[in-house]
Amino acid sequence: MNIVELQESERHLARMEARYRGLLEAAPDAMVVVDPSGEIVLLNAQAEKQFGYSRDELLGKKVTSIIPEGFAERLVADGTRSAAEALAQQIGTGIELVGRRKDGSEFPIEMMLSPLDSSEGILVTAAIRDIAVRKDAEKHLVQMEARYRGLLEAAPDAMVVVNQGGEIVLLNVQAENQFGYRRDELLGQKVTNIIPEGFAERLIADGTRTAAQALAQQISTGIELSGRRKNGSEIPIEIMLSPLETTEGILITAAIRNITVRKAADKHLAQVVDAEKRLAQMVEDLSRSNEELEQFAYVASHDLQEPLRIVAGYTQLLAKRYKGKLDSDADEFIAYAVDGANRMQHLIQDLLVYSRVGKRGLELLDVSSDECLHQAVINLRVAIEESSAEVTHDPLPMVMADEMQLIQLFQNLVGNAIKYRRPGVPTVHVSATRNGGAKWIFAVRDNGIGIDPQFFERIFGMFQRLHKREEFAGTGMGLALCKKIVERHGGSISVESELGLGSTFRFTVTGGNNKL
Amino acid sequence: MGVEVLLVEDSPGDVRLTQEAFREADSRIRLHVASDGLEAMEFLRREGNFRDAPRPDFILLDLNLPKMDGREVLACIKKDEGLKTIPTIILTTSNSEADILKSYQLQANCYLTKPVQLDEFENVVKSINDFWITKVKLPHRR
Repeated sequence: MNIVELQESERHLARMEARYRGLLEAAPDAMVVVDPSGEIVLLNAQAEKQFGYSRDELLGKKVTSIIPEGFAERLVADGTRSAAEALAQQIGTGIELVGRRKDGSEFPIEMMLSPLDSSEGILVTAAIRDIAVRKDAEKHLVQMEARYRGLLEAAPDAMVVVNQGGEIVLLNVQAENQFGYRRDELLGQKVTNIIPEGFAERLIADGTRTAAQALAQQISTGIELSGRRKNGSEIPIEIMLSPLETTEGILITAAIRNITVRKAADKHLAQVVDAEKRLAQMVEDLSRSNEELEQFAYVASHDLQEPLRIVAGYTQLLAKRYKGKLDSDADEFIAYAVDGANRMQHLIQDLLVYSRVGKRGLELLDVSSDECLHQAVINLRVAIEESSAEVTHDPLPMVMADEMQLIQLFQNLVGNAIKYRRPGVPTVHVSATRNGGAKWIFAVRDNGIGIDPQFFERIFGMFQRLHKREEFAGTGMGLALCKKIVERHGGSISVESELGLGSTFRFTVTGGNNKL
Repeated sequence: MGVEVLLVEDSPGDVRLTQEAFREADSRIRLHVASDGLEAMEFLRREGNFRDAPRPDFILLDLNLPKMDGREVLACIKKDEGLKTIPTIILTTSNSEADILKSYQLQANCYLTKPVQLDEFENVVKSINDFWITKVKLPHRR
């Protein structure tokens, strides 16, 4: 090469260098150009500032004075590779190293290397960025993540953190157990693997809302979905979503609760509630139909009275005016008509009384059962005299009762005791004992014909009779009325008896407020 | 001197039974019959076919009547200055508390239920005669 060529070449180089320097200065990062021996041959103002040196102090210096480790080594070719090869491996990837300032302080840097062929061999350009701030942030993030993970693991529910792509980025042990997967089988997988429907869809923003808005609507409201285990089985789950803003965008934390037990309990509860409802409905229907029946019985018996009066009145008029004046058949027919009309009258009257017990409001007052029995005995005067019955009683208490109905009750029970008597003197005894609580148990005991135990239930039914008409008259409503009166008073009635050995009827009534 | 009685009763069977009972009780009684409320008021006011009707000594009034029921008839009688002094006796099959109360509130003179048994009914009719015709002092008929 002659002088002219050399000069030309140097001029070219100087031009190139000037141009390259211009580029270096334009770069936002600190830039240092190093030759194969590790000496700094070029640097920009940012590099001066970064490391606290003036340009002159660094030019020709070993790069190890500002980057003690990790850089110079990369420039050295070893037995197996050339420097170019060594470098090539680093190209384009940031290398994190430590930089040292003139004052000796160190700071984290990220370095990007690129080779530059020059007349002096391969020069390496290093772009050096101070990453102290980023390092701090990363450290913080790692701490945060560790803390967050700690929280996740502490949660009682299965927790899964999902990114906006629907991929699982974090999960806790409970989630592993719940779905039967190992952690590494789920990380990075689509959340649809474990929650096929209803979750991933919620992460998607549509035209009218952002993902954050879409999510905000779901926050803290439980969504019931179906989860799928690794073994394919499905479990009912409830998920609660909450968004978590991170450097990677919004992550969704889903708390997933297995609600199999709750679902079963809900179902059971629903069944119980349903059954209760049906029962209440049945009770209501029954009580309504009872009321309707009573209303019907009242109206029917009331309205039946009028035509009955006509039938009874005219058959009796016939009997009165024409008995013995027609033939014997006529007398017999008229007698049956009169008897039928009379029986019907008793039935209707008893039915009226019965339906009125339910129709009329109860007047529960403190009444003397002693006086009620006394009144009943007066009402039964004729029957008692005719049968020479002896009606006795113990001292009887004050009770809470409707006076008229209590009299009716005693009258029916004592009346029955006399009516169903055996030959001889009928005796009836009324007594009362405390039942241990607020109620009194009354007993009406007789020495009458008794009742076959198989009829104990039946005798309290409406129109139930155990005897032929010729033996004992009656409509079969007496004890039905007694039962109704006692039940209207919140008590119960029963009988104890043996054929031929008399009967004892017992009923309960709440005691009065005033003591005897 | 005859006794004039107005019976307001729509059932012919009841009318006849009542007539029979009154015949047995006292032959002097002249029983006039109105078969509904409107007819009863015409009789009392001597309107239409009843121009020559006598003023009754007392009225036997059933409660359940067609057109104008016994309660309305009772109210009309007791509002009428000329008629209110005529004793008005409710004679009905109803023994409901509500009917009894309502009748006395409308100033019925007494309330009687028709017994089903013929002899009891005859006793009631006899009692009516005995009390309202023989015992009770009434203002002179106009």
